[in-house]
Amino acid sequence: MSEKEDKPKNKTRREFLQELGYVGIGAVIGGSAIFAGINYDKRKRQIDRIKVLTAENELIEIDRKDAGKVVKSKQEVLTYLQKEGREGIVGKRWVMVIDLSRCRNARKCMSSCQSAHHLRPEQSHITTLKMQESLDTPPYYMPKQCQHCDNPPCVAVCPVDATFKRPDGIVLIDNERCIGCRFCIAACPYSARYFNWSKPLHEQEDKDLTYNVELNVPQRKGTITKCLFSADRVREGKLPYCVGACPNGVFYFGDENEDAVTNGTTKETVRFKKLLEDNGGYRLMAELGTNPRVYYLPPKGKSYPFQDKDREEAEEHLKG
Amino acid sequence: MYKKNIGLKLTTIILGSLLAINVAAQNWNIPADQSAKNSSFPFNASTAKEGEAIFTKNCVSCHGNPGKGNSLKSLSPIPPDLAGAVTQHRTDGDIFYIISTGRVIMPSFKDVLTDQDRWKVISYIRSFNKDYVQVLSKFDSGKSKLVKITMEFDAKTNQIKVLVKANETTGVVSLKNDEVELFAKRYFGKLQIDKTNRTDANGLVVFSFPKDLPGDKNGNVDLIVSVNDDSYGEVQYQKVFKVGVPTNKPSLTEKRAIWNVLAKAPVWLILTYLFCVFLVLSVFGYIVYNLFKLNKSSDIKNLKS
Repeated sequence: MSEKEDKPKNKTRREFLQELGYVGIGAVIGGSAIFAGINYDKRKRQIDRIKVLTAENELIEIDRKDAGKVVKSKQEVLTYLQKEGREGIVGKRWVMVIDLSRCRNARKCMSSCQSAHHLRPEQSHITTLKMQESLDTPPYYMPKQCQHCDNPPCVAVCPVDATFKRPDGIVLIDNERCIGCRFCIAACPYSARYFNWSKPLHEQEDKDLTYNVELNVPQRKGTITKCLFSADRVREGKLPYCVGACPNGVFYFGDENEDAVTNGTTKETVRFKKLLEDNGGYRLMAELGTNPRVYYLPPKGKSYPFQDKDREEAEEHLKG
Repeated sequence: MYKKNIGLKLTTIILGSLLAINVAAQNWNIPADQSAKNSSFPFNASTAKEGEAIFTKNCVSCHGNPGKGNSLKSLSPIPPDLAGAVTQHRTDGDIFYIISTGRVIMPSFKDVLTDQDRWKVISYIRSFNKDYVQVLSKFDSGKSKLVKITMEFDAKTNQIKVLVKANETTGVVSLKNDEVELFAKRYFGKLQIDKTNRTDANGLVVFSFPKDLPGDKNGNVDLIVSVNDDSYGEVQYQKVFKVGVPTNKPSLTEKRAIWNVLAKAPVWLILTYLFCVFLVLSVFGYIVYNLFKLNKSSDIKNLKS
């Protein structure tokens, strides 16, 4: 006890000054450390804080790590696409005109369709058929896809409202609803529908894609796929994939309400009714009362010859 | 002597027809003013590269790659190899005209490619010709801003009158003998109205407008007028006129039909369905009623008393 009390008394002036020196140095080091810390914090704040404009039009500052992009969930995007796909484009009535006199079986329509809708090589929403009615009549090529009927038998038979007709005339298939019963395949007089018997071509790549009913991608095994009049392209004001890909000017596409169709190759716009009138336009199997939205111009004055390799095949069929 | 004469005649005929075929094959009837046209920008490696991309998309499927001789031989006439002498001997204006108008099986690219794009394709084609020396157009693109276009609709005669003038520093000048085209805007492109006309001495040009062209629900049609002048370049002007037939057709899913949604089912179908449901329910009700009656009549207490 006495020892403790004695110790401060024993501290010499030299020792006191020495201690004071240590405290001083410590204070300077500590102080500068604090200063540096504040400075760092300030700089950090500038980097980590961002200015955000709120919905109420107020400019506020928030921490960057608190900010999150407003990303629609996959379900929300899907709901939006489904709604948009059912509503169609208001005030339009899409029509297609196919000029058979210009088709030379280049098959560019088929390949562009296949790549757009991620179809397998053996699948296609559009095919070019080799046609010859009798041995005496000249053969010709005929592109054929879904006729987007105004009285569609396929839609009438669908038990789950998976395939539907839009106000703008396009007949679509919703693979979120399709149960794969294939009633529509049986009902379609134009054989325009295809069933996905096997796994889709880009199954792995398309895994994370949200289903777009206007493109029918990703394709799904056990459901129907069919021509969509390229509803996604038409929404953007562009011509359908097949129409734009044709090198020979076979396809015209447009709006019946505007009485104008645009050629996919030359991009020339002509009056729809006049085109049909001047060239004797007709529709496939009109007698069935399906009222197709696809019109054909007869192969009169063909610009291209029927290829010899196809001629033999056509004649073979006629003999049998 | 006689035989010799026949021989001579035959040779003349054969030679003549050969020459005629040759001429016909190359006969594009290119007007002299079109033939003298030139690009306003110089051709270089980058324009040729851009031209190559356009060429690959639009031309390769028939003409093949220049210099490779892989054009589509099944066509008649066979599309020429564009690195060949026939094409390279033409002027830039000739090639521009050919791409623009097309002939027989060659489609017109006037509405597909812009003027710039067409010149870029020519730049690509010329890159296969080492002896080629470009002649640049003397055209001043800044002058197109001076052009003033006014458009009027005359309801009595159903005509669109277009007046083309230019505000030069020396005063207002009327553009004479210029090609003017009138278009109606449609969803996928421009529909040409009437035919291409030329301005008169006062810069005036008149188009007759069809009476049956559909407009929007108020009858409005977006009209575009395009003027092409040698010294002022191409000028476009756009204006909305109430000249069309008001069109407001109902949507195609409006009518009641068997293929339509539940709310739009045909009346006969709804009635038949409701009748069937009523029939089944009434049979059930009848059975229940009878069971109830049976139960009442077979009441043992009632029987005993």
